[in-house]
Amino acid sequence: MGCKPQKNDSLPGSLDLLILCTLSRRDLLGYGIVPFIQQLSDDELLVEEGSLYPALQRLDRNGWIEGTWGLTPNNHNAKICKKLTLAKSCVMGTE
Amino acid sequence: MFLRRLKYWKDSARRSEALREEMELHIAERAAQLQEDGLTPEGARAEARRQFGNVSLKHEASREVWMLRHWLELVQDVRYGLRTMAANKTFSAMAILSLALGIGANTAIFSFMDSLLLRSLPVSNPESLAMLNWRAPLDRGRDSVVHRGSGNIWPDGQSARMAGIFPYPAFELIRANSAGLFLSVFAYRSTGNVNVMARGQAELASGEFVSGDYFPGLAVSPSAGRLIIPDDDRVGAPAIAVLSYAYSQRRFGDAASAPGQSILINNIPFSVAGVTPPGFFGVDPAAAPDFYIPLRTNLLLRLRVGANDAKDYLDQNFYWLEMMARLRPGVSQAQAQAALGPMFRQWVDSTAANDRERLQLPELLIRDGAGGLDTLRRQYSKPLYVLLALVALILAIACANIANLLLTRATARRREMAVRLSMGAGRLRLIRQLLTESVLLASIGGAASVLFAMWSIRFLTFLLANGSEDFTLRPDLNWPVLGAAAALALLTGLLFGLAPALRATRVDVIPALKDATASRLGSRYWFGRVSLSQALVVTQIGLSLLLLVAEGLFVRTLSNLQSIQLGFNREDLLLFKMNARQAGHKDPEIITFYSELQKRFAAIPGIRGASATSPQMTGQGTTGGPAGPAGVPPKPGVYAHILTTGPDFFSTMQIPVRLGRGFDDRDRPGSLPVAVVNEAYVKTYFPGQNPLGQHISISRRAPLIDRDVEIIGVAANARYGALKGAFRDIVYLPFNQDSYYPVEEMTFALRTSGDPLRYVNTVREIVRQADPRIPVSDVRTQAAQIDRTINQEIVFARLCTAFAVLALLIACVGLYGTMAYTVARRTSEIGIRMALGAQRGTVVWMVLREVFVLAAVGLAIGVPAALGASRFVESFLFEVKPNSPAAVVFAVAILLGAVLLAGYAPARKASRIDPMLAVRHE
Repeated sequence: MGCKPQKNDSLPGSLDLLILCTLSRRDLLGYGIVPFIQQLSDDELLVEEGSLYPALQRLDRNGWIEGTWGLTPNNHNAKICKKLTLAKSCVMGTE
Repeated sequence: MFLRRLKYWKDSARRSEALREEMELHIAERAAQLQEDGLTPEGARAEARRQFGNVSLKHEASREVWMLRHWLELVQDVRYGLRTMAANKTFSAMAILSLALGIGANTAIFSFMDSLLLRSLPVSNPESLAMLNWRAPLDRGRDSVVHRGSGNIWPDGQSARMAGIFPYPAFELIRANSAGLFLSVFAYRSTGNVNVMARGQAELASGEFVSGDYFPGLAVSPSAGRLIIPDDDRVGAPAIAVLSYAYSQRRFGDAASAPGQSILINNIPFSVAGVTPPGFFGVDPAAAPDFYIPLRTNLLLRLRVGANDAKDYLDQNFYWLEMMARLRPGVSQAQAQAALGPMFRQWVDSTAANDRERLQLPELLIRDGAGGLDTLRRQYSKPLYVLLALVALILAIACANIANLLLTRATARRREMAVRLSMGAGRLRLIRQLLTESVLLASIGGAASVLFAMWSIRFLTFLLANGSEDFTLRPDLNWPVLGAAAALALLTGLLFGLAPALRATRVDVIPALKDATASRLGSRYWFGRVSLSQALVVTQIGLSLLLLVAEGLFVRTLSNLQSIQLGFNREDLLLFKMNARQAGHKDPEIITFYSELQKRFAAIPGIRGASATSPQMTGQGTTGGPAGPAGVPPKPGVYAHILTTGPDFFSTMQIPVRLGRGFDDRDRPGSLPVAVVNEAYVKTYFPGQNPLGQHISISRRAPLIDRDVEIIGVAANARYGALKGAFRDIVYLPFNQDSYYPVEEMTFALRTSGDPLRYVNTVREIVRQADPRIPVSDVRTQAAQIDRTINQEIVFARLCTAFAVLALLIACVGLYGTMAYTVARRTSEIGIRMALGAQRGTVVWMVLREVFVLAAVGLAIGVPAALGASRFVESFLFEVKPNSPAAVVFAVAILLGAVLLAGYAPARKASRIDPMLAVRHE
């Protein structure tokens, strides 16, 4: 580990926006968001996959997205599917 | 949004788990996909992890989103700190105990200071109250406008004096000219002890004369009936009284049934008009009056025999009335003083009888009245500050101890610190964690200290009151005091934790990781040539020395006071007072009454002698006046002290009579007026001559004329009034010859066989049979009376001894710990030395030498500090010089002895080291 761990994403805010754009199209698992972002940025942006999660938590905390319950492969009950909240989806301009 | 955060926080554990699972799921999916792309299962998992990034870091970053990082870390630190404390139970217990004692003692003193210095009067809006005082330069030439005074005058610095008493015309002047400044001005004055008969029972009580504006000015409402109003305070108004809540309960059962009742104050009928609210104690925290009566009723009561109280209201040079005022909103004390000062000065100038008096006129001072009078403050502030300094010292010593022990532990945890630092922990983060541990320790100690504080408060109140019933300082643990204690706990936690935390984290990582045991090189924390640990021990020794010296001084003072020559025998002497005049007796019958009583007391089986004096011999002031040889005009300002006594006085008190005789039955009303003088008097007035048969002239105030008496005896010097200082010139007069002022209150002294207090009931019965209206008051033994006078010194001596012992104990424990650790650390070195041929004795000496060096340095710092600081307590000492070499030498000797004891055990342990084991220890 050469560099100091970053507290924020190097492009603050843009990751959040990318996630929101992605989720405005369809509801996804965290895992599924990554290829979409790569597509959206024309493969220019290679996001460290783990960095998604703090961003997801932030968006969840601020009320932009919410997770629904589902079963993980290990048969645990966990919030996995992410989707935009109803209010915010209006803002994002989708139905 | 905040609610959402709160909700997250509650679910945090579950959420955290879910997140982790989600991340694992993500990695698993990625790994699955990579496997499809052709990688091996292990390779796929590794690649998936790599692409994901640092799982733990992301996990933490995610958690931070919904939980404040600092809060998370604090919780972590606290948990870790608790675990560490549980792991080192002995250390934690000792640390918490010493902190509880130290912080508890400080808290107790805080609460005393709070109740003394910070409490306001329990009235509405106390901040707008102002006291009126005056200050005048003090010149021994004693020409002053204060021709007569009745009340407290106290010194202000070396060259001035202050008082709160004013002439009645001054009160009227200020009242008439301050409408724009004060909402109200009121005056008051204590009645002293008077005989109050209620429901057939007579008791002594003490009340307050108040002007009509007193209760309206203080803005107090009655709890029953009504309070005194301006219309009650005029000549001819019906005599009413207002009782205090506690007094009404005591005399009438409950406050509501008091109004309307009739009581006798010194045989004058008063009607109870109302009761003050509970908790109201007037304006002087030092004395809570039992009742309040209008000012003008002093004309009815005639408390001072022969005085013309009506004239007192007009006398411009008789200072007797105390005053307070309530400022108008917006008016400050400075403004009021600027406005009234010149007017008062002009008036006072007009009352001066001659130009000499004009040289030292009093000037008006308007002072803050929110806290009430400062009698109590003046008496107790300085002692409390001294006590505060002492307990602060103890706390400092305890902190140094804990710091030292923490340092020791820090050395043991070097490896742990090194590992954590190398893994990327920030130094600041580690320091914060260590500080949290020490603050945790201090907080638990602080919580435990509350118990100790409660006990200390009770103990200190008991010590300071020393049996006097009207001790009014009522400290308790209220929120400000507890807040101060909590702040102190926090501060001490940071204080003793900071140095060890800093040192612990300044670790050279590589050597620490490599070394399993402590090595010589990187293991000490040095300040130049002295290690921090040694510096702390030296500080403790210095501070302990301070306390030991203080203790030596106070104990010597106490023993000096207790062995003061009294001139009479204080053992087995029962004292009590009664006042027949207040119950209605008059001249000349009152003299027969007292004489009869004295004979009856003398006849009680077990009583070896009975006598009476007026006033009492010790514990109060004296009376006196010019009493020089007859025919010689009295020198101005030269007084003798006069004590009126009954027959058999000298034999009962066991005061030797050197020449002539004492008073006996030959001295009756109408027979030759006689006097007995003491040796000091003879030296002053008849040096070198035989005073027997000489006449002296006792000067008395109008309307009585001076009295001529013949000296019939010379007594040995005995104490009258103060215990300290030189013996005074005393003239003893028999009370039945009308040689001085008419008798009022009489103090009886009975010499008993065995415990004096066993005879109290018999005495009360005899008095009750003689006259049931007269209460017997202030019953105590002479020994207890004297102890009461030197109470402050007793308290100091006892407390200081306790403190010094405690401090020494803590310092020795610290020393022992440090030395034991040093020996442990240098085990291999010692082993090598012994293997090379060093004797046991040499090793012991090696350790002890270090101990003595530490002690020497501690003394080198402590002795000058003690010599310097002892100047501050000079006023509390008696016949002990503050720089008394004896006290210092004694303290040093004790300290060295204790240090030797503390260092001996580790030294012996060092000498028992098996060289073979020690060398292999590495």
